[in-house]
Amino acid sequence: MEAPPVTVMPVTGGTINMMEYLLQGSVLDQSMESLLHRLRGLCDNMEPESFADHELVYLLKGQQGNPFMLRARRSLLHPTAPWHLRYLGQPEVGDKSRHALVRNCVDVAASHSLPEFLNEMGFRMDHEFVAKGQVFRKGAMKVVVSKLLRVLATGNTENTEPLSLSYLVELSVLAPAGQDNVSEDMRSFAEQLKPLVHLEKIDPKRLM
Amino acid sequence: MQQREEKQLEASLESLHARVAHLKGSLQSFIVKLETEHDRLTWPSVLDNFALLSGQLNTINKVLKNEKTPSYRSQVIIPLLLSPDRDEELLKLTEQRVPVFSHEIVPDHLRTKPDPEVEEQEKHLSAEAARIGPEVAQKQIQTLNKLCSSLLEKLNNPRDDRDSETSALRQNKPSFNPADTNALVAAVGFGKGLSKCRPPGSVPSGHPGQPMMSTGPTLQQVTIAGTTGHQAGMGGQGTQQQPGQPGTTFNDVHQHFYTQNHHVSCSCNDLILHVLFEQVKCPATSRLTSSLHPCILTTDELPAEMLHFVIQRLVYEAKMLICFVHFQ
Repeated sequence: MEAPPVTVMPVTGGTINMMEYLLQGSVLDQSMESLLHRLRGLCDNMEPESFADHELVYLLKGQQGNPFMLRARRSLLHPTAPWHLRYLGQPEVGDKSRHALVRNCVDVAASHSLPEFLNEMGFRMDHEFVAKGQVFRKGAMKVVVSKLLRVLATGNTENTEPLSLSYLVELSVLAPAGQDNVSEDMRSFAEQLKPLVHLEKIDPKRLM
Repeated sequence: MQQREEKQLEASLESLHARVAHLKGSLQSFIVKLETEHDRLTWPSVLDNFALLSGQLNTINKVLKNEKTPSYRSQVIIPLLLSPDRDEELLKLTEQRVPVFSHEIVPDHLRTKPDPEVEEQEKHLSAEAARIGPEVAQKQIQTLNKLCSSLLEKLNNPRDDRDSETSALRQNKPSFNPADTNALVAAVGFGKGLSKCRPPGSVPSGHPGQPMMSTGPTLQQVTIAGTTGHQAGMGGQGTQQQPGQPGTTFNDVHQHFYTQNHHVSCSCNDLILHVLFEQVKCPATSRLTSSLHPCILTTDELPAEMLHFVIQRLVYEAKMLICFVHFQ
């Protein structure tokens, strides 16, 4: 049975390749309150949303060099909500003057059998962590302030310890590729959070 | 002398009356505005109203302080006739508010002294003031004046050295730690500092020698039924398979060679990927193994490489199955 060859162009017409524009920073625990106050003032007026998520990162080591990474996330506060599967590409090496980290992003909802499915597909869980914090929104921008917790026993999310004495602060926007005014808006918003938090473009490869 | 005083009194009363009427008018319009337009009202317009009221109160104060105004304290109003009957004149004069000039309304309307509690408090305050003595009072007044003027100065003149003072203060208490930032970003990015999970069995290392799935199915229904006819078609590459190949996936999957209804479908109509592995029976051992778990993925967009990869994987697993069965 002959099937037509796989194309490497985008799958169907009309789908847009979404990019995630990202700026990251951190804030010490004792300054968290002032950051939260400032964010409540700057961001859209709504009750800040708290979340507690358990994220599992799966790797598929193919015969090519780089392993393929997928992130599966579930909410600990809403156990019946679907799982969230995310693919993040490599950061785009473009313009050095672009202020935010830009990478391809695909978000997918999945049912609760996702971990077993990924295992059967050949993915192996590389690491997991729990993130607890709050989400703020300003227009298309999303600010996530989260405490990362290390899971001490695999799969047991009750037994956790904080990774550091700081909260991770991430400013992100999901937008189609090629919109540079997005990073300008992000930079001006990041200015308003100084000197409490320095949000900047951090290349993860640099930290390897 | 008497006449002059009387004339003065009348004139001042007239002007006072006019001012109070203005004040009443602006209060009324303000109340109406608050009641009817309160959802459209902005703070600056409310402030304007308050400014107007305060201005009018100021003019009243000026009128009262005017030297031409006789002291009202020396005047007394004595009610000459009190009656419990309705008085139309009074109603007209007071805009329907006071119907009867009786002994109930007199204490309120003709009051000259403040309430007893207020009087008590005023007495306390004046006793206190008298107690501390004039020098201390003067010093307190001076301190207050100094504080107010320094505050006013600070508010009116933003200075650069003020900013540097405050920034110096803040530097003593940093609110973030760059080392922490790096640690957190590394943890989120690739799991640095988080315990790595090593699963039992080795990680699949791919399939050496297997040609790439350039003829793999893409966006269409791929149904691999379990008959030998189909096996022959797909099993052309079966000679290359290695049953002893390391890889957990392969080991798990190869037990699931089925007898019937093994169904793999990747349909991408609205990009919904269904993978159903139903219960399979191992012909060698006649043992029913449990099904692989189904999973439903929904997405609006999926880049080609990801889809390609997923389908490649599925096809590979399916081919391995069929090859195994074929060899059996």
